[in-house]
Amino acid sequence: MIPLSANASQLERRARRVRRLILRLAATPSGCHLGGSLSVVELLVVLLGEVMRVDPRAPLSPARDHLILSKGHAAAGMYAALAEFGFLDAEELVRRYNAEGSPYTGHVNAAVPGVEFATGSLGHGLGLGVGLTLGHQLKGEPNRTFVVCGDGEMGEGSNWEALQVAAHHRLSALTLVVDRNGGQNDGPTESILSQAALARRLEAFGFQTAEVDGHDLTALSAALRESGGERPRALVAHTQKGAGVPMLRGKGPHYAVFSPEHLRRALASVGEEAS
Amino acid sequence: MSSASRPGADLAETPEVWLREHPELASRLVFRHAAARFAELDPRIVFLEADLGGGADPFESRHPGRYFNLGICEATLVDVACGMARVGHVVIAHSFAPFGVMRACEQVRLGMAYGRANVKLVCDYGGVAGAFFGPTHHAVEDLAILRAMPGMTVVSPMDGLETVQATRAMLQHDGPVYLRLGRNRVTRHDVPRGPFELGRAQCLREGEDVGLLAHGEVGVAVALESARLLEARGVSARVLNVHTLKPLDEAAVLETAERTRLLVTVEEHNVLGGLGGAVCETVGAVGLGRRVVRVGLQDRYDATAGSHESLLAGHGLEGAQVAERVLSALPRPRMAAVGPVTRRS
Repeated sequence: MIPLSANASQLERRARRVRRLILRLAATPSGCHLGGSLSVVELLVVLLGEVMRVDPRAPLSPARDHLILSKGHAAAGMYAALAEFGFLDAEELVRRYNAEGSPYTGHVNAAVPGVEFATGSLGHGLGLGVGLTLGHQLKGEPNRTFVVCGDGEMGEGSNWEALQVAAHHRLSALTLVVDRNGGQNDGPTESILSQAALARRLEAFGFQTAEVDGHDLTALSAALRESGGERPRALVAHTQKGAGVPMLRGKGPHYAVFSPEHLRRALASVGEEAS
Repeated sequence: MSSASRPGADLAETPEVWLREHPELASRLVFRHAAARFAELDPRIVFLEADLGGGADPFESRHPGRYFNLGICEATLVDVACGMARVGHVVIAHSFAPFGVMRACEQVRLGMAYGRANVKLVCDYGGVAGAFFGPTHHAVEDLAILRAMPGMTVVSPMDGLETVQATRAMLQHDGPVYLRLGRNRVTRHDVPRGPFELGRAQCLREGEDVGLLAHGEVGVAVALESARLLEARGVSARVLNVHTLKPLDEAAVLETAERTRLLVTVEEHNVLGGLGGAVCETVGAVGLGRRVVRVGLQDRYDATAGSHESLLAGHGLEGAQVAERVLSALPRPRMAAVGPVTRRS
């Protein structure tokens, strides 16, 4: 395994490239869910680049670990991360995102290599992930499953059904990450439906739970490698919707359609694509 | 080789004999024995339950490692089923029809239909079979909902033997299937039948005056009974068992329309959107000008208690009632035309 410190700067470069690609997707004709795509960049980079067993040349390999971005509106983030790791071509993604006849729909599409399920109708990913994990457990296979939900998405009751089932069946190969970016479609999560006690509730439901800075590559890497022992694991990742784009001052809009001028300024504020 | 607790016929090899040895079983229990038997032949088959297994399930006792009662959580039941199917299992997910189809409707739509999951959603309590339990436990809309989902296969078998056949066929079919069962003991039909094939309707009785198109435990029994009553009145009825509502055997429906003078659909489902709707869509699109009478549940909820039979009678789903509707709706045989047919207004 590559030592963490040596890999960290490479992951940082990858995160910046993913971020720049997301900004370019915001500048395509119909734009993208920008805030929630930017908040999961480090998370996806650490999962695909360091924690998960995945092979872009064999995305359906039976040995793969699984990633379900349940908050499927962050499709731009997912596709950009998959492009960074060689599952798809970045230039083709920019050219065809949301375009006629393209698989790159505005919510995560299962036709895209590296995607397990179509998501974006919220509250399905965890149940699907429980099924993947239970399916592997039944076959005695070690594959891990990572499900990323939004904090607003935890309002969906189906998540709490799935949490109970995961805990009851001791699905230790399952990790839920809640992207606690504090925002949802209509405004701040805390003013709409509070998730203030989220970590304590996940713990009480039987998950081995930790909180982590969702933009700290080193902390994420350590937190995601660890499994919950005999219990499923939950991470509450504290993030910001506009993370990594100083121009947005940490207040990334839920949805954005960038003009060429917006894009130029946003890319400049992220910094160059250093190799 | 094993079928039930006592030695006897093999359900997989000679289901007719096995069924004779178990005359007391409703189709929903026949299904459970069939699933347990077929799981011996295919280790990929798993069975998910949402606390409506009723205890003493033959699948659970014979394959305890592959049987999961997930608890009372139908939405998660279907999502979990789709996840397990993704890694190679053939998944049976069971609930009552109102909950499996409607509580978990979006999971069925996204995971099963759009996701083309190899999941078999098996629901009993179809129609008003739940009778005195009330409309919370009835499903008058399930077939209309699932017919509208692209890629779904929708099956409603008429009796125990067809339930065994449909269970085998759905487990061998790679893709999402809804198997709809009733609740109560049903007539086991002693009619000649060819090999069962998903999407292929079966003619159970030939006739020329009226075509009775039916599915399911109640629909086919009522259609066959009314055909016998009609025969005594000099009317010959063709009975088509449309066990697969989707994909619909359009050729068989049109053939029945062409060979008879009136079409009557008979089903334990709302007259909107089920077989009645499907037959109207099919016949109307071709423009045969053939009238379709839809016998079925009358677009209402039955909020008062009653037996299954009395509820069905309240919707006109009795053999004698159907026969009377046929007699009143049947156009008179056309006389040998002498010149152009004139229409009276």
